[in-house]
Amino acid sequence: MSRVLSLCFLLLTAIMGFLHLDSRPAWAPFAELAPIVIEEPIDQEKSSKTQQSSKPNIAAPISNWLPDTGAASVHAASLIAMKDGAIRAFWFAGSREGAPDVIINSAVYDPQSANWSAPTVVIDRLAAQSGLSRYIAKLGNPVPSRMADGRMQLFFVTVSIGGWAGSSISTIISDDEGITWSRPQRLISSPFFNLSTLVKSPALPFADGRLGLPAYHEWIGRFGEFLRIEATQVIDKRRMSSGRSAIQPVVFVKDPQTATALFRQTRSSELAKQIPVSQTLDAGQTWQSSEDLSIANPNSAVAGLTLGNGIRLLALNNIEAGRYRLVLLMKPAQADQWQVVRVLEDEEALPNEQRKEFSYPYLISANGNDAHLAYTWDRKKIRHLYFSPAWLMQAYEQLALPASDANSKQGQR
Amino acid sequence: MIDWMQNLALIEMAITCGVIVTWLAQSLSDRTFSFPVKWFMAALVTNIFFWPLGLGMELPLAAYVRAVTGDLSIVLTLLLWSSVLLPSRPTSISFKLAIILVSFMFYPLALGLGMIDPYAWGYSSLGLLIGVLVFALVCGITGWTKGVWIIALAILAWVGHWHESTNLWDYVLDPLLAIWAVMALANSMQRKRRVKARSGYLFRAG
Repeated sequence: MSRVLSLCFLLLTAIMGFLHLDSRPAWAPFAELAPIVIEEPIDQEKSSKTQQSSKPNIAAPISNWLPDTGAASVHAASLIAMKDGAIRAFWFAGSREGAPDVIINSAVYDPQSANWSAPTVVIDRLAAQSGLSRYIAKLGNPVPSRMADGRMQLFFVTVSIGGWAGSSISTIISDDEGITWSRPQRLISSPFFNLSTLVKSPALPFADGRLGLPAYHEWIGRFGEFLRIEATQVIDKRRMSSGRSAIQPVVFVKDPQTATALFRQTRSSELAKQIPVSQTLDAGQTWQSSEDLSIANPNSAVAGLTLGNGIRLLALNNIEAGRYRLVLLMKPAQADQWQVVRVLEDEEALPNEQRKEFSYPYLISANGNDAHLAYTWDRKKIRHLYFSPAWLMQAYEQLALPASDANSKQGQR
Repeated sequence: MIDWMQNLALIEMAITCGVIVTWLAQSLSDRTFSFPVKWFMAALVTNIFFWPLGLGMELPLAAYVRAVTGDLSIVLTLLLWSSVLLPSRPTSISFKLAIILVSFMFYPLALGLGMIDPYAWGYSSLGLLIGVLVFALVCGITGWTKGVWIIALAILAWVGHWHESTNLWDYVLDPLLAIWAVMALANSMQRKRRVKARSGYLFRAG
């Protein structure tokens, strides 16, 4: 009798299980990129604190620093365009990376005044552990995103035990563009105590409004994963690479089915220090590794952005060791070759011990035809650069010149 | 996960800690505890793990355990609770063997070996659900009714999104279940060998 009862109960749960599976959303294509026509140069008379532009009538990129919080160490800045055209930045700050006092800060950039607001605290370790109902030892990379309903969502890394290999991803949601935040929720993405999933790169929308979040593992394996996110849940995931050689994927979407992921290489010393690449032809359901992008990578994060007209941008350290040089590269929509359009930082001339670190770039566009770049400056500050549409168009036109100048070759080294 | 369900998850973890402490106490004791004693002991320890104790700790003890283990699978949780707090016969060797076999294939692949990720099947794979149901059916056919109930409840918890995970694997398998299966199998094999050796000594021809 007991056995019959248990089997009847199993049958009931089987039916519920099948209905549950049936209610799961089908995998959707990537959201179409809205075609944006690059406008005429907008007024960019702000003074540049950095470098020269090759044409005097085009304003050079605007350079700024994210507000100083007084923390000894800052890192992992990320950006998101706000509904009113401003830019909100997130970064973590504390006595050192991985310290218990690390908090996630935020500030807003006003494009009219070209100034950053005073920093605010988004979340600290204690608030995270209270909300997640478990001990949290430290906080890590924050990555903002826009939900289909317009709310702002922040994914961030938390660690309960061990180093970054023990990371998990948590998320909070804001109804007021980042002023207040919901209670944090944990994303479950690994079967082994949910250990070792991190985020670094921006999410991309699917046509059905859900998000594709490029994530990565760096424990036993070091590989990329593509998480399909519905609000605060992982509803599917796909492996983007395998082994121990590629983390921090950045995804370039070409069309609703096709995308390319570039990775930070983490290979052993005898292997090529170049950018690993994976491709998908079915909107991220399956990924295949392909030939490396022949740009040097010193085990350092890469940032990528596709503008509305298809032009792609990359910010990275194009050297095999160290992080003392950071460059911006550009590639027309139909071209294969990346070319350096601006050297953002370069301390090659300095002795090794005097070189600073310029790392963790993060690129976004506020309107599809400009670019904002944030990156860690010597772990002490976060630098923000704004590239106007006019500047980007000028750089693009220079790409079109035959047999480009010597700088254009640097990206191919 | 709805906010108040975090408290349920914490209660679940606190009960599990209470049950484990009770089981450890029973294992170390020469006397056999009666079930009321086991229930009382488990309830007492559960309360110690659930309520904030202060003493320099920012959270209840269960929150520290949960930080390390995450939410345990429903299969492990119910198996543990029922084995300690209810009268039950030992889990079958074939169940332990099956858990070990699945775990040895599952974890290396799920943790990054190659491009096939069986963990991803847990989100929406009909094949995995059918596999779990067949496994439960085999448990029923072989007479292990408790296994059928446990697996059915695990599926129900997955459907109802009882834990933070939406992945079926997280409801039916976890690393601690695999470790328990390995240790329990080794233990029972050692016990069998001991019994066999003793019986051989007593009844050998001579």
